[in-house]
Amino acid sequence: MFKFGWLCTFWLASWCAGPVFAAQLVVQVADAQGHPVSDAVITLASESTPTESSPSPPSRTYYIDQKNETFIPYVQVFRPGDKVIFRNSDTTRHQVYSFSKIRKFEFVLRPGQSSPAMELDSTGIAAVGCNIHDDMVTYLFVSPSADNAISDREGTARFDHLRPGRYTAKIWHPQLHPGRVEPSRVVNIAGSSDSRVLSFTLSLIPNPRDSTDHDHPLY
Amino acid sequence: MPFMGFRLRLALFFVATLVLVQLLTAGLVYEVTRRAMVTEGERQLTANAAAFVAQMDDISARVASNVEVLSLDYALRSAIAEGDNGTVLSVLRNHGRRVGASRMLLIDSDGRVEVDTDDAGTPMTTFPFPDLIDRAYDQRTAAIVAIDGKASWMVVVPIYAPQPVGLVVVNVPVDDALLTHMQTLSALPRNVELAAELVPGHWTRLASGSRHAGLVESIAAVRHGLPWKPLLTRVKGREYMVLAQRLKQPKDSAPVVAILGYSLDDALRPFRSVVIAWATLLALGLGVGLLGAWLTARSVSRPLEALASAVRRIEAGDYHVSPITIRHDEIGQLAIAFKNMIESVRQREARIRHQAMHDSVTDLPNRLAAEATLDEAIAVEGTTAGALLMIGLTRVPEITKTMGHAICDRLMRDSSQRIQRVASGTYLARTSDAQFMLWAPVCDQPEAVALALRVLDTLNESYQETDLNIDRLPSVGIAITRPGLSRASTLLRHAEVAQFTASGSSSALSFYDAATDPHRPDQLSLMGDLRLALDTDALALHYQPKLNLASGVIDGAEALLRWDHPQRGSVPPEAFIGMAEDSGNIQRVTRWVLASAVAQARQWNELGTPLRVAVNLSAHDLDDLELPEKISRLLAIHRLPASCLVLEVTERAVIGEPDTAIRVLMALAEQGFAIAIDDFGVGQSTFAYLRHLPVTEIKIDQTFVKQLATDANDQIIVQSIVDLGHRLGYRVTAEGVEDQGALDYLTSIGCDHAQGYFISRALPAADLSRFIAATGDSAV
Repeated sequence: MFKFGWLCTFWLASWCAGPVFAAQLVVQVADAQGHPVSDAVITLASESTPTESSPSPPSRTYYIDQKNETFIPYVQVFRPGDKVIFRNSDTTRHQVYSFSKIRKFEFVLRPGQSSPAMELDSTGIAAVGCNIHDDMVTYLFVSPSADNAISDREGTARFDHLRPGRYTAKIWHPQLHPGRVEPSRVVNIAGSSDSRVLSFTLSLIPNPRDSTDHDHPLY
Repeated sequence: MPFMGFRLRLALFFVATLVLVQLLTAGLVYEVTRRAMVTEGERQLTANAAAFVAQMDDISARVASNVEVLSLDYALRSAIAEGDNGTVLSVLRNHGRRVGASRMLLIDSDGRVEVDTDDAGTPMTTFPFPDLIDRAYDQRTAAIVAIDGKASWMVVVPIYAPQPVGLVVVNVPVDDALLTHMQTLSALPRNVELAAELVPGHWTRLASGSRHAGLVESIAAVRHGLPWKPLLTRVKGREYMVLAQRLKQPKDSAPVVAILGYSLDDALRPFRSVVIAWATLLALGLGVGLLGAWLTARSVSRPLEALASAVRRIEAGDYHVSPITIRHDEIGQLAIAFKNMIESVRQREARIRHQAMHDSVTDLPNRLAAEATLDEAIAVEGTTAGALLMIGLTRVPEITKTMGHAICDRLMRDSSQRIQRVASGTYLARTSDAQFMLWAPVCDQPEAVALALRVLDTLNESYQETDLNIDRLPSVGIAITRPGLSRASTLLRHAEVAQFTASGSSSALSFYDAATDPHRPDQLSLMGDLRLALDTDALALHYQPKLNLASGVIDGAEALLRWDHPQRGSVPPEAFIGMAEDSGNIQRVTRWVLASAVAQARQWNELGTPLRVAVNLSAHDLDDLELPEKISRLLAIHRLPASCLVLEVTERAVIGEPDTAIRVLMALAEQGFAIAIDDFGVGQSTFAYLRHLPVTEIKIDQTFVKQLATDANDQIIVQSIVDLGHRLGYRVTAEGVEDQGALDYLTSIGCDHAQGYFISRALPAADLSRFIAATGDSAV
């Protein structure tokens, strides 16, 4: 719903701004086993036109819901200046915390309670957990770029209406192996009706949201 | 001794078989057990190796889960996230003690060491095993590494806050204590050691369990690489199965393996009591077996030994043995067969002995038995005189030839029965076809004669059968035992000699006379001596002159053989001529006599006193067809006329003799030799018979001449012979002239020659020459 709203805004903005571009980039994300990977954030950085030049969209507020001891969504892309509100839809308490560099916080949400809106003003990634429930984790991705896409269940992320030009496509995923460089790819959009497909294969660590079976370690 | 050997062999065979079977069984059981132990060892080792790994994993899992709990500690998370290393260090130290870690590290995702609880050891800036970090996010990660010559466990756990912010490394030492602890917790083998290849190709022991057997050192020395499969080897003189087990390790660590050992000696220890029990049983079985073998062998060999001793007794002639007790086995059967055999052998031997010792016709003892009995009797009654009668039936050979053996056998049977009837208390035997022997012990000469007469009387009755009447012509020779005459054979011979004498005499009864016995043993050597004498010219011829009664001149001489025996002295011709005839030596004697006589005749011829030399020929000489030729050759050699030689033969030599003798005499006469009949008048020859012979001279036997001077009958006989001889053309010589009267009478009746002691005894040739010269002188 918020996504839809965001897309509407984006579409209105580009339509008002000038010519309509029809160039398209489809990014396909899979893991080492070939399974589609969802929740991967692809960021396009144009080399020809600096992003600063485009008019920055108005600041938005996003809700991170907590339902069934799970943060929803898993990954949320922000632009600097956007706000985030944590809402507890469960019947248990949640102690939401983050030690991330861009924003450190820690508070308890009673059932049905929502947090005050927090502004995320610097780019970066904030990992947010619940100190009561170890498996609960969500990532706040504050992107420096305007062109961001998140892969869906089929591992597909889509960029429409791209201007022709040279882009660097960076990909990030919460389960990317720590200590390894984020994969990035340069893509050239030749014309306005150009349609490109980009594939990424990621090697991922196990999903921390899946509860770990401590009694049966896998050695 | 051979039976002892048999028993011993049998017993030894039993015992050897027992021992062999036992040893084979023992060897088999040992080998089977050992193989089972080896197989069991392999199985156990393989299982133990897996168990060891599982146990290690279990321990590391416990450590890891501990650390995982730690990683969720909010204080630690915040301290790590905020870079508060001091707090992190204290938390890690605290936790390290809880999990038994010797060292704990906090490293970031790139492997940089941020916190290290061990400030004493080698400082670490970068975690040396990056592959462990890589793996740590995907799975729980633990591995064995060798650091500073010690084995330890590296457990790597990522820290989420809530995203991965670093990793905690727990270092748990794997030392002797841990291994021992593991052994007490589970059924791990007592021999577990950890080894690391700190220097390539060389394995060093890092830790060992409760028992340090030196497995690593022994394997390192073998240099065949590590035994990844169970391997049977000797470690310090003990047998072990060893197995090397790889452990989970990071790439960059020196290789570390677990060496597990399975002691065969330990495995076999429970069987030691079984072995002792078995050995005891074997010894016991051996003893019982030996005893049993000995008893069995004895039960077999005892009767066999009894049989053997029975056989030995039978061999010695004792048949009265009841060899064996009754048994119902094979030996019993053998014993019964043996008993039957002894019985039949005894019967057969008795029969054979009887046959050997008895005459089948009369069933009397034969000569052999008689001799034996006689020997015994003489030995027992050596001092008493006994008489041995040899009873001969002279006509038996004749009867056998003309009427056959059957009649002869019946006759002998009848004779034996007759003798037994008249000679009770004596011992009768048949010693030859025609002779019986009767032994009368304790019998002097008169008694012997009486006995002999009784025997003769009964045997003189002719033997009668249907249409048959046979005279037996019995004769009896008697020999009386003398002290010192100990041999039966001698006595028998004496009796036989006596019987032979008796068969020729009218009385048909004769005692043995040693003097007339020509068969005395001492005579036997005489022939050898005679041959020697012939070869060495030890004989000599003496010449008895023959006086020509008409002229009163000695014109002839009879050559008489003289033998001066070196031991016996002078041996008279009668003592050896007969024997020489019997032994076939007479022809040599004659040849020698002829040669000497002819040579002497030549000598006399050359001396101018020619003498006619008379030589006596034996009846045997007349069997030689070449004799005339030989004599004439002899004379030719000496260039003498045949008339020089007179050949004298006895009546017996020519009467009833075969053609050969007559042909020889004829041939001699044809060659001009004079032939004289010696000893005329005592034999059975008649003038009628002599007429057929080429006789030129007869010599009247001295028995008629000796008393010629006084006995009128002799004078008549001699005169008749001289008259008749002259009328038939014979010259007549009288022998044995011993006085003047006889000589005168002979001269008066015209006898041609006289010969005798009165004229001269026989003289050596030289003496004769002198004698002739003397008489010639006296006559002239």
